[in-house]
Amino acid sequence: MAHQADARRALDERGYTGALIRGDNPLKLFEKAVRDRIVDSYYWKEQCFGLNAATLLDRAVELTFIGGTYGVAQKPTPFLCLAFKLLQLTPDREIIEFYLQQGGEEFKYLRALAAFYVRLAWEKDEEVYSTLEPLLSDYRKLKRRTRESWQITYVDQFVDDLLTKSRVCATTLPKINPRLFLEDENRLEPRVSALGEELEELDHDDEERVNGQSDESDEGQMNGHVDGNGLADSQPDHRSDDSMDGD
Amino acid sequence: MPPLPSRMTKNRAQPTRYRPGKAEADDPASDEESSEEEEDARPVAAKAPPPKATSFPSQKKLAVDLSKAGQQSASATKTQAKAPHEDLEGFVTASESSVSEGEGGSGSSDEEGREESSEEEESSSDDEAAKPMLAPKFISKAKRTQQAPTTPTDSDKAGDEERLRREKADALLQAQLEREAAARAAGKKYWDDDDINPEDEVDDTDDLDPEAERAAWKLRELKRVKRDRETIEEKEREREEIERRRNMSVEEREEEDRRYIEAQKEDREGKGKMGYMQKYFHKGAFDFNGEGQDEEVKRALNRDLAGARFVDDTGDKQVLPEYMRMRDMTRLGKKGRTKYKDLKDEDTGRWGVDMRRKREFEGVDERFRPDDGYSGNQRTGANDVAVGERRRRDDDSGRDGKRTRYD
Repeated sequence: MAHQADARRALDERGYTGALIRGDNPLKLFEKAVRDRIVDSYYWKEQCFGLNAATLLDRAVELTFIGGTYGVAQKPTPFLCLAFKLLQLTPDREIIEFYLQQGGEEFKYLRALAAFYVRLAWEKDEEVYSTLEPLLSDYRKLKRRTRESWQITYVDQFVDDLLTKSRVCATTLPKINPRLFLEDENRLEPRVSALGEELEELDHDDEERVNGQSDESDEGQMNGHVDGNGLADSQPDHRSDDSMDGD
Repeated sequence: MPPLPSRMTKNRAQPTRYRPGKAEADDPASDEESSEEEEDARPVAAKAPPPKATSFPSQKKLAVDLSKAGQQSASATKTQAKAPHEDLEGFVTASESSVSEGEGGSGSSDEEGREESSEEEESSSDDEAAKPMLAPKFISKAKRTQQAPTTPTDSDKAGDEERLRREKADALLQAQLEREAAARAAGKKYWDDDDINPEDEVDDTDDLDPEAERAAWKLRELKRVKRDRETIEEKEREREEIERRRNMSVEEREEEDRRYIEAQKEDREGKGKMGYMQKYFHKGAFDFNGEGQDEEVKRALNRDLAGARFVDDTGDKQVLPEYMRMRDMTRLGKKGRTKYKDLKDEDTGRWGVDMRRKREFEGVDERFRPDDGYSGNQRTGANDVAVGERRRRDDDSGRDGKRTRYD
């Protein structure tokens, strides 16, 4: 694709001839309101002009927080602007994987940006899951800017939100099939958690502790029982997770 | 009050053009301008201090190369302390420097004395790099040969000066770059005109407490695993339920449904009943029952609206007079209150009523109604005769009746 410094053509919806994501202009993944805010912001105008994948890397390593829009005037974060630029550029798979793996080792915000892009742009659900799930073991802190304040989140928390929630960072994420569905269809293997052996141990503990239970599957045991770490809540936990807004 | 410019204008005098063949006239105006500035810059001296550099042909043009050699050595010592930016100010005409050297501390005339004292102040504050630049002075050929041996040393010193000046410029530039880099590193984004309040910011440095972080991560991961397992269980339970119902017969299903509906009814009865003209608060169109909702929010959304009574409630409005029977008692007695009560009362349609009949004698007592039920169409009185054969009158015979009349 010819690289043009002024990528106005991508912003114009008529006669778009670039790469398509899900059959449409990639920029359409962001809502019109958000798109307008991004394009009118100073960060976009000064920093995101004429970027390619390499120079975008320079910008991305300077990121210090993630977020969608904030403030009364819905100002977009640099994170969002760079994600928009990524959508405009639609870089290759290898580049994104590089951002995620090697680049992300050193720069966590770059990793968050690449994960966001993967969730938005890649169309095959299996690929999205298999690429993003290794990140669930990265527990570095991320600074997140909400509408009025700041919050701490973690890389694994952010990725989990990307995979479960419907709205993250001022964008409605495109629908993907839930993991269960893919597992039932045998397109994916059931997830092996990073905890791995520890989980097994916990399950064994549960089994020993509860009397009268034969060797059932572990599922029935997690509810309402105190397991090794002292977790006693029997409610489904996605409700009591820290209050991350979708926006 | 600063001294007024002699030309009575604030415009600067333009430099005089060079016209070939014309002797250049030194403009006193620029002298005065510069002298003004110097005076403003140094208001310390009560009397106007003399200008540092002036192109005014001072009387010092006399002593041309009197102590040129002496002057060179003196200027060498002078180069000890000279500031780089005062190069131009260190511009000393040959005459001046010679005079200052010649007379040293003992000032002959006031002007010169002050000049040279200021000159020496200047020179003492000067950096060693800058040497006072000598104005080019014509030396006759004879004198030139005398001069020649000293010039190499002169150019050497000039070279030194140059190098030192360059180094200083480099140092300055370096300092500037470092400052910029430090500013950027400190996180001041020059495109970000936001004032990010530093107290609000949270710290995202990692590895502050590796154990705690790892433990927190383990907790989150366990929660995720638990959540996944519970969704599986949910699905299982649903499937089982479906299976069970399918296996039951029709009657059993009906039995279950009936029980379920009764349970619902009981719940509803537990809620209050809507009183007569009770104010109705609609709970809103955004009936979003997501997981991210607070318990308080859920309670608010599923409130019992009908049975809610508040402290100032008037209770039964049937006993109130007509004027006070309104749904929203806050409007009582207020100006602009419409007589609108409720939709039912304002409705002008009559439901289930036949509008086609003429309703003249509707509310009238039975005694005063007409005899026939529906005699509107019939004729009364004289018009009551049925249509029949037309009566033949005698005076009609003369007319043109039907021709064939056989009596």
